[in-house]
Amino acid sequence: MALPVSTPVAPTTATAPRPVSARHFARLKLRVMANGFRGQTAKVVLFVLGLIGGLWFAAMGFFLLLATGATDNPNVSVIGAGLGGAVIVLGWVLLPLVFFGVDETLDPARFALLPLTRRTLVTGLLTAALIGAPALATLLATGGLVVAAGLLGGVGAALVAAVGVVGGVLLCVAASRAVTSAFAGMLRSRRVRDLAAVLLAVLAALLAPLQLLLMRGAEGADWDRVADVARIVSWTPFGAPYTAGLEVAQGRWWAALLKLAVTAVTIAVLLVWWSRTMESAMVGTASAGPAAKPASAGSSAVGALFPRLLARLPRNRFGALVAREARYWWRDARRRSGLITLAVIGVFVPVMINLGGTSGMNDALSGSDVEVSPLLFSLSMVFVGTMAALNLANQFGYDGSAYAANVIAGVPGQTELRARFVAYSLYMVPLLVLIALLLPFVLGEPAWAGVAAGTLLASYGAGLGVNALVSVIGAYDLPETSNPFAMNTGAGMTRSLLSIVALLASVVATVPLLLANVLLPGFWLWLALPAGLAYGVGGALLGAYIAGDRLDRRMPELLHAVTPRR
Amino acid sequence: MTGEHPALTLRGLAKSFDGKVAVGGVDLDVPAGSFYGLLGPNGAGKTTTLSMAVGLLRPDMGQAVVLGHDVWADPVQAKRLFGVMPDGVRLFDRLSGAELLAYQGLLRGMDPAEVDRRAAELLDVLALGDAGRTLVVDYSAGMKKKIGLACALLHGPRLLVLDEPFEAVDPVSAALIRDILLRYVAGGGTVVFSSHVMEVVERICTHVAILAQGRIQRFGTLDEVRGQRRLEEVFVEVVGGRTATGEELSWLSR
Repeated sequence: MALPVSTPVAPTTATAPRPVSARHFARLKLRVMANGFRGQTAKVVLFVLGLIGGLWFAAMGFFLLLATGATDNPNVSVIGAGLGGAVIVLGWVLLPLVFFGVDETLDPARFALLPLTRRTLVTGLLTAALIGAPALATLLATGGLVVAAGLLGGVGAALVAAVGVVGGVLLCVAASRAVTSAFAGMLRSRRVRDLAAVLLAVLAALLAPLQLLLMRGAEGADWDRVADVARIVSWTPFGAPYTAGLEVAQGRWWAALLKLAVTAVTIAVLLVWWSRTMESAMVGTASAGPAAKPASAGSSAVGALFPRLLARLPRNRFGALVAREARYWWRDARRRSGLITLAVIGVFVPVMINLGGTSGMNDALSGSDVEVSPLLFSLSMVFVGTMAALNLANQFGYDGSAYAANVIAGVPGQTELRARFVAYSLYMVPLLVLIALLLPFVLGEPAWAGVAAGTLLASYGAGLGVNALVSVIGAYDLPETSNPFAMNTGAGMTRSLLSIVALLASVVATVPLLLANVLLPGFWLWLALPAGLAYGVGGALLGAYIAGDRLDRRMPELLHAVTPRR
Repeated sequence: MTGEHPALTLRGLAKSFDGKVAVGGVDLDVPAGSFYGLLGPNGAGKTTTLSMAVGLLRPDMGQAVVLGHDVWADPVQAKRLFGVMPDGVRLFDRLSGAELLAYQGLLRGMDPAEVDRRAAELLDVLALGDAGRTLVVDYSAGMKKKIGLACALLHGPRLLVLDEPFEAVDPVSAALIRDILLRYVAGGGTVVFSSHVMEVVERICTHVAILAQGRIQRFGTLDEVRGQRRLEEVFVEVVGGRTATGEELSWLSR
């Protein structure tokens, strides 16, 4: 405990500080990760599972890219490398925004007070970001391209491909960091955060056309045209890093060098962008809050809590919980981004599944006869309903230590969960109803609206019930940073696992309704809505009952689980 | 009831985290009507002890009883009787001060009209009325402490448990908080609070306990604990502080 009393070193002149390099950041990240795992067996298990999952996908990607890349057919190889690479880059940009968040083990704000140059900080944080399962998996998967290039064009091609692949990983990581950091900044700013919300929605909506593209490619509609698209993509930053080796193998050294240059320039631009937004994040939160808004004259505290639209809520414990949650879904950037992205996915994915799965967007828009399968339609509705409920899977994690207020007040578990259902449904149910009305209309089957609404409500309600249980049992803490996309090490895996469990369980819970869809086709059209509504409400209430009982018994443990550890 | 039971009784409260003992068996009796200071150096286990006493953290062993109601066996009754201001815990800070108070009051099952009346009065007395509809997240540290205190006081509890109420608070706000607490005790309430600011403790407490290394080292009335000396001396002696010899850190002087 006592400081060792050393012999006075006393250098009278200040020595020049030793330079900080990326190596220090890498070691810091590894140290922080290791310390985070100490004594947390569950976390270690999840991390290992994540690594195994990553390796599995990496192996699949590796062989897929190897198989397509090593063929003599130039069309196939450019599609594999160009479009495959584009999917990887897009995935890196979009998935953190929509689903996984970014691993912010090293929060840039923690470095604000250290005398580091911008360059040191950015390269260091990039290095730290490279350490993790996703980057490793990407590197392994795209390694297939290196082998393929080597088989086709010898050592030179393999070397260029290797440079391209490494550049590709750097580009992916830099892009995901830059984009999430920029969005975090926009969502924080009171001026442009609504614009940011719209942009986020558009980006999330991009996921759907991507899926459409894949489906059409898989259908083998017109490989020559697809290859043309791939050739164009291969000159953009999305495909350039991955097709450089291919160019060498086909004898075009100039093209390969140009593509590597495209990659390098893109990485540089992304890093500059990232460092800009990072700086604003580091100093931005300290800026003055908005000027105090005067309380409107004669307003009461209770009146202020309840939004005007919810003025009819009872003025009691339940009403207060609903009002607070309803406000939080909009005021908390983290919740709002989840709300918006899920809403967009909920609208676009079923449209794409139903249209893209049959004959494509163009036919549908031109109004020709579209064959839509009722079962596929019902399944897509189940998907939307369960996805919509998924935001509640870590609902207590959003609260963090603030949940202590409810523990101290001793809120009964069932009341707590039911109120949270109601508040979230205030946003979701109107959206679901809208989907149920619009989608059948778009598909040219307006009579299906009843089935759509019934299936949506049933799966949403069952999803609420399942997610309530998941949120009580599998809660985890979210880091207290200003970045709504930030996650702790290993939390991405927890989140995906819990989401998958919740999704599967919700779908299973909706099976009876699907059976009814198939077995009672005739009058089901009319019965689906009331039956679905009853089923959904019943599922939600049952979930609240079971999960509420558990919550009553483990409120302090839940609080502990969602309190961020520093 | 106040006469029969101590305001707060802790018996053998213990908690370990990952095999490391944070609190190793704390016994404490807080008489009703007392102003009880829980002293201890950083990391002594003050927050852990108070969290276990109010039902935020489940103890490995031991019992916490508030005015005759066991916090862990009979939480509903016990939680009605006390108000808490935890430290290092966020409030629902994306609400404005008034909204937060309304939420707390209704959560406690209070009558809405009464919540309105008390919230307005508390905001006024604590000089938070000017903040208007500013969200609590944008409050200064001192304002956050004050709104936290208002939340704890709102339902008129018999016992107040405050974790570090004077930490990061400017002198003006500290004086305000002190006055309100003294009035509360004079009105028959009981306050337990943790602190390591000796001056404040010496000025307002009737009783003190010194917690170090997860155990209560000294306890009693203020005069019993400090005797003829200053409280700070007793504290440093009990905790086992280290005094500078003047040799170390020589590079700091030019």
